Amino acid sequence: MKGALRAIGAASLLLVVWLAAGQNPPAPLHFVYRPIDFRLESSETPERHAPETMAGGLALFDYNNDGNLDIFFTNGADIRTLQKSSSKYSNRLFENDGKGNFTDVTQKAGLAGVGFDNGVAVGDYDNDGYKDLFVGGVHGSRLYHNNGDGTFTDVTAKAGLNRPDSQYGPLWSVGGAWVDVNNDGLLDLFVVNYLAWDPDTEPVCEAGPGRRDYCHPKFYKPTPNQLFLNTGDGTFRDVSAESGIRSHPGKGMGVGIADYDLDGLMDIFVSNDKMYNSLFHNKGGGKFEEVAFEADVALTENGQFISGMGVDFRDLDNDSYPDIALVALDNELFPIFRNLGKGGFADVTVGSGMARLSAPMAGYSPTIADFDNDGWKDLFVTRGHVQSLEYASRVSVEQPNSVFRNLSGMKFQALTAEAGLTAQPPRRHRGSAVGDLNHDGRLDAVVSAISAPAEVWINDNPGGNHWIEFVLEGAKSNRDGIGARIKVVAGGAAQYNHVSFAAGYASSSAGPVHFGLGQSNTADVEIRWPSGTVQQLKNVAAGRVIRIKETE
Amino acid sequence: MRWFGDKAALLGLGLAAALWAAPDPRAAAEADAGLALAREGKYQQAISRYRTALELNPTLPGLPLNLGLAYFKLNRFADAAAQFEKAAKADPASFQARVLLGMSYYGSRRFADAALALQRASEQQPGNTELRFKLAQSYLWSKQYEAAKREFQVLLTQNPDSAPVHMLLGEVLDAANQQEQATAEFEAAAKAAPGEPEVHFGLGYLYWKQKRYDEALREFEAELAGQPQHTQALTYAADAEIQAGSEKGAEDRLRRALQMDPNIRLAHLDLGILLAAKSRSTEAAVHFREAIRIDPSKPDAHYRLGRLWHSMGREAEANAEFAKVKTLAQPERPDPLINVPGRGAGPPQ
Repeated sequence: MKGALRAIGAASLLLVVWLAAGQNPPAPLHFVYRPIDFRLESSETPERHAPETMAGGLALFDYNNDGNLDIFFTNGADIRTLQKSSSKYSNRLFENDGKGNFTDVTQKAGLAGVGFDNGVAVGDYDNDGYKDLFVGGVHGSRLYHNNGDGTFTDVTAKAGLNRPDSQYGPLWSVGGAWVDVNNDGLLDLFVVNYLAWDPDTEPVCEAGPGRRDYCHPKFYKPTPNQLFLNTGDGTFRDVSAESGIRSHPGKGMGVGIADYDLDGLMDIFVSNDKMYNSLFHNKGGGKFEEVAFEADVALTENGQFISGMGVDFRDLDNDSYPDIALVALDNELFPIFRNLGKGGFADVTVGSGMARLSAPMAGYSPTIADFDNDGWKDLFVTRGHVQSLEYASRVSVEQPNSVFRNLSGMKFQALTAEAGLTAQPPRRHRGSAVGDLNHDGRLDAVVSAISAPAEVWINDNPGGNHWIEFVLEGAKSNRDGIGARIKVVAGGAAQYNHVSFAAGYASSSAGPVHFGLGQSNTADVEIRWPSGTVQQLKNVAAGRVIRIKETE
Repeated sequence: MRWFGDKAALLGLGLAAALWAAPDPRAAAEADAGLALAREGKYQQAISRYRTALELNPTLPGLPLNLGLAYFKLNRFADAAAQFEKAAKADPASFQARVLLGMSYYGSRRFADAALALQRASEQQPGNTELRFKLAQSYLWSKQYEAAKREFQVLLTQNPDSAPVHMLLGEVLDAANQQEQATAEFEAAAKAAPGEPEVHFGLGYLYWKQKRYDEALREFEAELAGQPQHTQALTYAADAEIQAGSEKGAEDRLRRALQMDPNIRLAHLDLGILLAAKSRSTEAAVHFREAIRIDPSKPDAHYRLGRLWHSMGREAEANAEFAKVKTLAQPERPDPLINVPGRGAGPPQ
C-alpha cells in the first residue's frame, strides 16, 4: 500500500512539474487500425535479392486538391525482370473521401507504374498548384506530372531524369526530396541512392545451411546521391558533380531537409546503411559542403557504423533549430542528434531515454509529428528487421510499430501496445506517412509492410488538446512553400516546424504542417518563406486548417 | 560470452582397458609399456611406445583408443580426434570412443562435430547429465541454439538450481538475441549461487547490453566484490557509469583495469572519453591512440580522436582520423558464399 501511495505521489509531482513549466500534461496516445486494400509485393524469392526487403515507400498527399489526404503506395516488381509483370505489383493511389474511406483510382490516374519501385517524393515542381510525384526505383525512376484532372503523365524522359549514371550505371533509388536549393522559387530534386546492386554479381549469403538471407550492405559498393536542378521549363539539369554532392557516395536510406543553421538555405541530411551519414551544408550558389564529421552527425556518439534507415529532420525541443531523428536495427539504437545551434549537434540518444527504449527494436521509418497535440513533437516509428523470416530464430524480424511520446523536448516514452499498435500482428514494416486523414485534428499514420497488408492507423486520442494546421502557397517561393519556417506561439510557448514533405523511409508526408496547441485555443504565427518574406498572423483561432499565400 | 573452461574431467574418463589380441608379441609389449607409462602420467613417452606398437601392428585392437587418450591428456585434441575416429569406426557401438571423440572435437573447437558425436553417445546414456551438459555446450558454441536450449532446459528439470546451467542457457538465449529470457536465466543463476564466479558479471553484461546501466553497474560491482581484480568487470563498471552519466569512480576503475591489463581497448577508449570531457586533451589522445593500436579496424576510436583534434582546432589531424573512418566503411570483397553476418551491433568484441 505504501508503494501505491508513493506512486500516486510521484504522479502528482510529475503533474506539478508539467504545470509549473507551463506545459500541457500528456494526453493518452492511441491509434485504431483500419484496413486498406493494399499488399506490398516485393517478389520475395529464395535467392534473397537485396531489393526484396527494401520496398515499401508511400505518400500522403492531396492529389486532386479536394482538401483530403490521399494515399499513394509504391510497389515492387518481378525481381528477375524488374518489371511489373502482374497486377499485384501495381503501385496504388487511393482517393480519400475525407472520412477515412478510400477508393482505388490508380488506373484512372495512370500511376500503376512499370518497374521495381521503392520510394516516393511529393512536390509541385512546376508550381501549377498540383502535387507531382517522383517515384524512385531499382535501376529506374519515374517523374509523374499531375495534370490536375485526376491523371498523371510520365514525364521522366522529357524531364531528363531517365539517364543511367555514366560511372555507376543504373542506380537504385530509394526515394528523394523536393527542395529549392537555390531559392529561385523552383523545387529541385534530391535523389537518394542506396547501394550498387547487380543481380549477376550479387553475393550469396546464408542464415544457416542452405538457407539464404539478405546480405550485409558491406558487401556492396556505395553509390552517389543526385541533385537535379529545376530549370523551370519542365526539365532538370544534373548538378550532382558541380554541387559537391556526387563526391560523397553512400548507401542512402533516408533523406531529411532542413535549414539547420538558419542561414536561409536548405541543407540535406542523408542516413546511410552501415556507413557514416552525410550532412550536406548548403553554401549558396548551388554548392554544398559535406560536414557530417565536423557537425558530429556522421556517426553516433559511440562511433559505430549503424544500419541507418529512414530519417526525419525537425525541431524536437522547440528551440527553433531542427534536430535529427533516425532509426537503425536492434542494439544500434534510434539516434537523436540535438541541434546545438552553432552548426553542431550533440548525440542525446542516451540522455533522451531513446537508447534504452530502442535497444531491442529494429526501425525503418521515423516521422516527427505531434500526435497528442500537446505542443511537443513525437516520433512514430515503423518497425521490422531487414532480414528475412529465416532469420527469426536469431533476431526479432517481425515487430509492431511504436510511437515515442515526447515528454518535454528531449525525453521520450515508448508506446506500443499501450498505443493500440499491437492490434495487428508484428510485421516487417517499412515506409510510413503521417497526416490527418479524417479531419479530426489528430494525426494518423499509414504504414506498409513486406508481403503483408498495409495498415492505416487512425489516431483516436481522447485528449481535448487544440491544434492548428497550415497549407502554404508560395508566390516568390516555390508554390508548396517547402523550406518555409513556421513559428507558432500558444500559451506563452513557442514551437517551430518547417515545410518538408520528406520524412521517414522512402516516404512523403505532404499534408498541411500540423501544430498541437495544448489547452490554447489561439496562436500567434510567423512564417519565414524561402524568399525571405516574413508574414505574421496574430491571435489565430485553433481547430482549423489555414491556407496562407505568400505576400508578393 | 564464454566464461567456462573445458570441463572434460567432469566425465571422469579413465584410461581404456587394454584388450590386446595381437599376433605380433612385440606390438602387444610396446602397447602394454605405453599403457603403463600412461598410468604414471607419462603421456609423451606413452605415445612413443603406442606409435611403435602401431608400426608393428596397425590393426592392434584398442590401440587407437589408448593413443588417442594420451594425446587427449596432452591437450593435443586434433591428434586425439584422429585416433578416436579410428576407434569409433572399429567399434561403432563404443560409448567410450564416441564420448572421447566428441570431447576431442570440442577441444579442437570443432563444435558441430562434437555435438554430433556427443549426441550419439547421449542416445546411449540419456541419463548422463555430465554428457548432456557438454553436448548442450557443443550446441551452443556451434550456434545450434534451439538444440542447446532444449538440452539445457532438460538439464534444468533435473537440477533447477544449477547456476552453471542457468548461465549457459542464458548464453544460448543471449546468442539467439532473446535478451529478456537470457537475463531471467542469469538472474536465476545469481539467486541460486550469488558467489558463483562470473554470474554477476554475466548478468551485468546483459543489463549493459540492454542499456540498463544502473542495474549493470550494481552487478559489476557485485562481481568485483568477489573478484576485485576482474579487469572486464572494472572496465564495464566504468563504462556503465559513463553511460549513465555518473562518472564518479570510472576513471579510477579504468586505470586499475589498465594497470593489470594494458590491452583492454574499451578501457582506453572510455578513459580517453573521460579525459577529453575534462579537457585533458593530450592525455585523452594518448588513450584513443592506444585503443587504435589494439584494434585499428574499429571506427570508434578514430572518430573520437578526430573529434578531439577538431575541438582543438587541429583540423589536419582531425581530417586524417575522419578519413580513416571513411576507409573502414569501404565495402568488403564479396566471397562466393558468405555466412550472413548479424545486422545490429551485437556483443562488443
